[in-house]
Amino acid sequence: MAVENRDPAVHLDRGFWLVTALLAVLSALAVYATIMWHPENMPQLPEAAIPADQVDQLFKFLTASAAVIFIYVVGYLVYFAIAFRVRASDPPDAVGVQIHDHHQLELWWTIIPTVFTIVLAIFSVKIWAGVQFASPNNGLVVEAIGHQWFDDFRYPGVHGIVTDEMHLPLGVPVTLHVTSSDVIHSFWLPSMRIKADMIPGMINTLRFTPTRAGTYPIICTEFCGTLHGTMNKQVVVIEPQANFDKWLAGWKGKNKNASDAIPVAGTGTVNLTGGDAAAGQKIFAQKCSACHAVGPFSQKIVGPGLKGVLHDPAHPKLVNGEAANPEDAAKILQKGYDGDMGHMPNASQNGISDKDIANLVAYLNSLK
Amino acid sequence: MAISVSQIPHGDPNVDQLYAETRDLRLNGFLLFMVSDLVLFSSIIFAYLYLRNSGQGWPPPGFSRLDVAFAAFNSVVLFGSGVTMHFALENWKHGNFIKFANWMVATIVLGAGFLSGQGYEYWTLYQKMHVSWSGSGIFGASFFTLTGMHGFHVFAGVIYLTVLLLQATNGKYTQHKHFGLTAGTLYWHFVDVIWVLLFSIFYLF
Amino acid sequence: MAVAAAPTHGGGVADHIHPEPHSFIRRYIFSIDHKIIGIQYIVTAFLFMVMGGLLAELIRVQLMNHSGTFVKPDTFNELYSIHGSTMVWLVIIPLLTGGFGNFVFPLQIGARDVAFPWLNMLSFWIFPVAGLMLYSSFLMGAPVAGWTEYPPMSLLGGPGTSMWAAAIFLIGVSSTLTGINFLVTILKMRAPGMTFTRMPLFVWGQLATAPLLMIATTALGAALAALFIERQFGVPFFDPTRGGSPVLWQHMFWFYSHPAVYIMILPAFGMISEIFPTFARKPIFGYKMIAFSTVAIALLSFMVWAHHMFTSGMAPFLQLPFMILTMFIAIPTGIKIFSWVATLWGGKIHLTTSMMFAIGFIATFTFGGLTGVYLSAVPFDLHAHGTYFIVAHLHYVLVGGSLMAIFAGMYFWYPKMSGRIMNEFWGKVHFWLFFIGFNATFIPMHWLGLLGMPRRVAVYDPQFQFWNQFASISSFVMTAGILVFFINAIVSLRTGKKAGANPWGARTLEWQISSPPPYYNFKKVPAVLAAPYDFAEPLPYRGLEGELDPNVPAPVAAGH
Repeated sequence: MAVENRDPAVHLDRGFWLVTALLAVLSALAVYATIMWHPENMPQLPEAAIPADQVDQLFKFLTASAAVIFIYVVGYLVYFAIAFRVRASDPPDAVGVQIHDHHQLELWWTIIPTVFTIVLAIFSVKIWAGVQFASPNNGLVVEAIGHQWFDDFRYPGVHGIVTDEMHLPLGVPVTLHVTSSDVIHSFWLPSMRIKADMIPGMINTLRFTPTRAGTYPIICTEFCGTLHGTMNKQVVVIEPQANFDKWLAGWKGKNKNASDAIPVAGTGTVNLTGGDAAAGQKIFAQKCSACHAVGPFSQKIVGPGLKGVLHDPAHPKLVNGEAANPEDAAKILQKGYDGDMGHMPNASQNGISDKDIANLVAYLNSLK
Repeated sequence: MAISVSQIPHGDPNVDQLYAETRDLRLNGFLLFMVSDLVLFSSIIFAYLYLRNSGQGWPPPGFSRLDVAFAAFNSVVLFGSGVTMHFALENWKHGNFIKFANWMVATIVLGAGFLSGQGYEYWTLYQKMHVSWSGSGIFGASFFTLTGMHGFHVFAGVIYLTVLLLQATNGKYTQHKHFGLTAGTLYWHFVDVIWVLLFSIFYLF
Repeated sequence: MAVAAAPTHGGGVADHIHPEPHSFIRRYIFSIDHKIIGIQYIVTAFLFMVMGGLLAELIRVQLMNHSGTFVKPDTFNELYSIHGSTMVWLVIIPLLTGGFGNFVFPLQIGARDVAFPWLNMLSFWIFPVAGLMLYSSFLMGAPVAGWTEYPPMSLLGGPGTSMWAAAIFLIGVSSTLTGINFLVTILKMRAPGMTFTRMPLFVWGQLATAPLLMIATTALGAALAALFIERQFGVPFFDPTRGGSPVLWQHMFWFYSHPAVYIMILPAFGMISEIFPTFARKPIFGYKMIAFSTVAIALLSFMVWAHHMFTSGMAPFLQLPFMILTMFIAIPTGIKIFSWVATLWGGKIHLTTSMMFAIGFIATFTFGGLTGVYLSAVPFDLHAHGTYFIVAHLHYVLVGGSLMAIFAGMYFWYPKMSGRIMNEFWGKVHFWLFFIGFNATFIPMHWLGLLGMPRRVAVYDPQFQFWNQFASISSFVMTAGILVFFINAIVSLRTGKKAGANPWGARTLEWQISSPPPYYNFKKVPAVLAAPYDFAEPLPYRGLEGELDPNVPAPVAAGH
C-alpha cells in the first residue's frame, strides 16, 4: 500500500497545543474534584458497611478516568469542528488535509485504553473479591424473603418470620441469604452498595459488615408487580450489641409458638367462628388498605372498595356470579385472586394467618 | 470534483476479476437459513441442558430413563433415509431418473417411517408412563418440545421431498440446474445431524 | 470460480434487472425494490416512533409527581413495557437495518437490488403487522414487566403478554430474513473491483450487523416461543414451582439482547463514518482500524450477555470472564471514537445539520459508552443495577447514540431518497432543541439512580421529585425538537431545495446517480478502483459516465 507515502506531514499548530493544555487543566480539575468528593458529604448516601467504601473507591477511579477521556474527546471534537470549519474565503471544492492514518498514533490510542482496561479489570477484581469473600461468614446469618410487596426476615433462634424492619448489630459481619416466595424481587441496600436478586427457588447470598449505626432504606429494584414502587423496608443498624440482643429476644418471645416452615399457600378451609372485627380492622389497616378503600365498590385503588361487600345486594358479584358470602371472602383472602379485577396476593404472600382471616372476615361483615 | 473519470488508470486486477460467478445466490441464502435454524435448536438444547443441570438430577424423581433400544432402531431408519437421499441426488447428477425416483421414494418412506416410530414412542410414553408435554414438569417439556420440533422438521422435509419428486417428474430440473434438489438434500442431512445431537443428549447421556 | 476473461459488464446474477412495475400497488405497496422497501421501513418506523414517544411522554407526566396519580400503577407498567418494546424492535432496529440498510448499502456496493428481493418484501410486511399486534395487546391487558419480560412476572401478566411474545417473535423472523438477505448481498453482489477494503464503512457496519440479526434473533425466537408455550399451554420452562428456572429466561433473553445492542449501534457507527469524511472533505482516519473494530465488537457481543445478570446469582467465578470481556469492548469502541475525532483534524468542515448531529452523536455516545464501562465493573454494577442509572445509560447509547445517528443519516440521505434537501434552518432548530432537551432529560437520572431510585416504578421517594420534574420538562423540549423534525421532513418533500445527484459532494456510489435513483439503480454496473474517501483524487469508479446523461438509454430488464 502506498497510502503512507501519499499522506502529507502533520504539523500541529499553536492552537492545538493551547487547547491541549486547556483540556489538561480541565482534566486536572475534574480529577481533583473527584478525589475530593466524599459520600459522607451526601446525607442520602452514607457509606454504612464494609464494601461501600471500596465500591466508592472504584466509582471515583472510574469517574476520574472517564472525566479525562470525556473532556479530551469532546474538547478536541468541538475545537476541531470550530477551528477547521470551512470559511467563506475557501473555494467551493476545497478539501482537507489528506491524511489516511498514522500508525504510531493509532498504536498509542490502542495501547493506552488497553492498559487502562487492564488496570480497571485488576482493580475491579480486587474489590469484587473483597465483596465476595472478605467478610467472614462466622457472623450473624439472616434470611430475607421477598413477597409481593414486602420483605420478611428469619433470624437464628427465632421461630417463624420476623415482620419488623431488618435489625443488625453494628460491626458484626452479616451473611444475608435472600430468596422469594413469588416473583423475582431484588434486595438493594444503597447505603451498603450491595444488591442481590431474590429469585423464587434460588438462594443468593450477600456478605457485608455494617459500620455505621442508623436507619437505611431497603429497596426492591426488580419489577415485581403493581406495587413494585412501594416495596421498601429499612435496615436498622443498632449499637451496642446489647440493644440488638434485646430486640432479638423480643422476637424470640413473640414468635415462641410460630412454625419454622416457610409459609406456603394454605389449603384447608378456615374456621370463621370467633372472628374479632376490631382485630380485623387493625390487620386491614396494615395489610389491605394499600389496595382497598373502605368505601363504595367504585372507589378503586388497586382492588375495589369493600364497604358493604357482604351486605349490599347491589354490590357487583365477586364469586361465581353469586353475591359474596363470608366463606367466599375467606377463600379469596386465603388463595388470592387473579381475574378481571386484578391480582391479589394469597394469604402466605400477604403474611396473614388463618386467625387473621377470620378476624378480617368479621371486620368485612361489620362494614354495612 | 473537477477531475474526470477517464483519468483513472486501467488494469486493476480486482476489477477484471468479475463477480459473474455461476454459484447460485439461493444456495448461500439456504445455507445461512440452516445456520439460523441450527441456532434455534441450539437455544432450546441449551435450555434443556440448563434445566437438566439445575439440581434435581436427571431424569427427575418419578421418571425413568427413556427406552434407548427403540429409539436407536428409529434412528437407524432416519440415518438410512440420509443415505438413500445421497444416492438419489447422485443418480440425478448422472442423469439416471429411474434410479433417482426409486431412491427418493425410499427416502420418503423411511422419513415417514421415522415419524410413525416417533408417534409410537410418544403414545407409549403417554399411555404407559403418563409422560405428557405440559403435565410432566421440565422432563416432558424439554423432551416433547425438542423432539417435537425435530419431528416437525422431518414432517416438513417429507412434504418437501414429495414436492421435489413431483417437480422432478414434471421436468422442473435439469441434470445441471437442480437447486431445489440440492437444497432438499442439504436440508435432509441437516435434520439427520440434529437428530444425532438429540439422540445423544436424551437417550445416551 | 469464473476468473478473468468474463466480459466487463453484464452477465452474472447480480446484474439481473427485474422489469419495472407500473401499477401503484406493485410499485409502492408490495414493492420488491430495495429503495422503496427502505423508505417503507423508515416511514413505518417513524410512525411507531410517534407512538413510542407518546408513551414516553405519558411516563414522564406520571413521574412529575412522586405519588404519581396520572395513571394507575398497572397502566404505568404497561406504558413503559410497550414504550421499550416499541423503541427497540419497532423503531431503532428497523430504521437502522431494514430502513437505512435497505436503501443505502445496495447502492453503495453497486448492486441492482438485494439478493432476495421477494424475501425483502416479506421481511418488511411482517414488520407493521407485528407492530399492530404489539399495540393490540393494550386491548387485552398489555405486558407489564418491561421490555425484558422476566418470568415469573411475565407468566402472571395479562393475556397481552402472549400477544407481545408472538409479535416480537414475528419481528424476529423478519430480522432473521433481513440478516440472511443482507449477508448474501454484501458477500456476493458487490460491484467488480469492490474488495473488502474498498467497501464504504456503512457497508462494513451492515456486514457486521447481518450475522447478529441472523443468529442472535433466532436465539430470542426460541426464548419467546418457550414463553408463549408456557403461558398458553402450561408447559413448564421458567416457572420455578414446576421445576423451571426464571434465570434460564434471562440467559436466553440476553444472549440475544446484548448483540441486539450492537445491532442498534454498528450501523449507526457506519453512518457516522460516511458523514464525517464527507463533510470534513477528508479521508476517514484509520479506515482499516474502524472496519476491524466493527467486526471485533460484533464478535465480542456474543461473549458478554451475562453482564446483565450480575445480581441474578451466577456462580461467582463466572462473573469474572463476563466482566473482563465487557471491559475489553471499550477498546475497539475507543479506537472508533478517536478515529472519528482525528478525521475532523485538518478538515474543511461543513457544519450542516447532518454533521452537527454526527458531532453530537460522538459527544453523547462517548458519555453513554463511558457509563457502560462503569457498569461492566461488577462491584459498581451491584449498586447501580436496576436503578435509574441504567435508564440513563441505556438512553444515552440508544437515543444519544443510535437515534442521533439516525437523525444525522436522515438529513444526509433524505435528498437521495426524495430528490430534495431538508430545510437547514429548521434542521438546526431541531438539533439544538433535541440535543439540549435530551441531555437535560437523562443526565439527572444518573444521580437519581445512584441515590436510590429504582427503575420501573410508578411512585417514588419524594426526595427525588425535583430532578424528575426537571427531566420531565426537559423531555418536552426534546419532543418539541422531534416534532420540528417531522414537520420539516413532511414539508421539505414539496418545498425543499432540489438536491441534484450529489448535494453534499460525497464520494460513495449512491451519490453518483440521480436523486432519487432510477428503478434499476445503475445504467451500467460500475467498476471500483479504490476506497471512496480520497477527496483530492478523482472518483475511483469506471463506467459511470452515462449515469446523469439523459441521452444514454436505461438498461433493458431481463424478461419474466
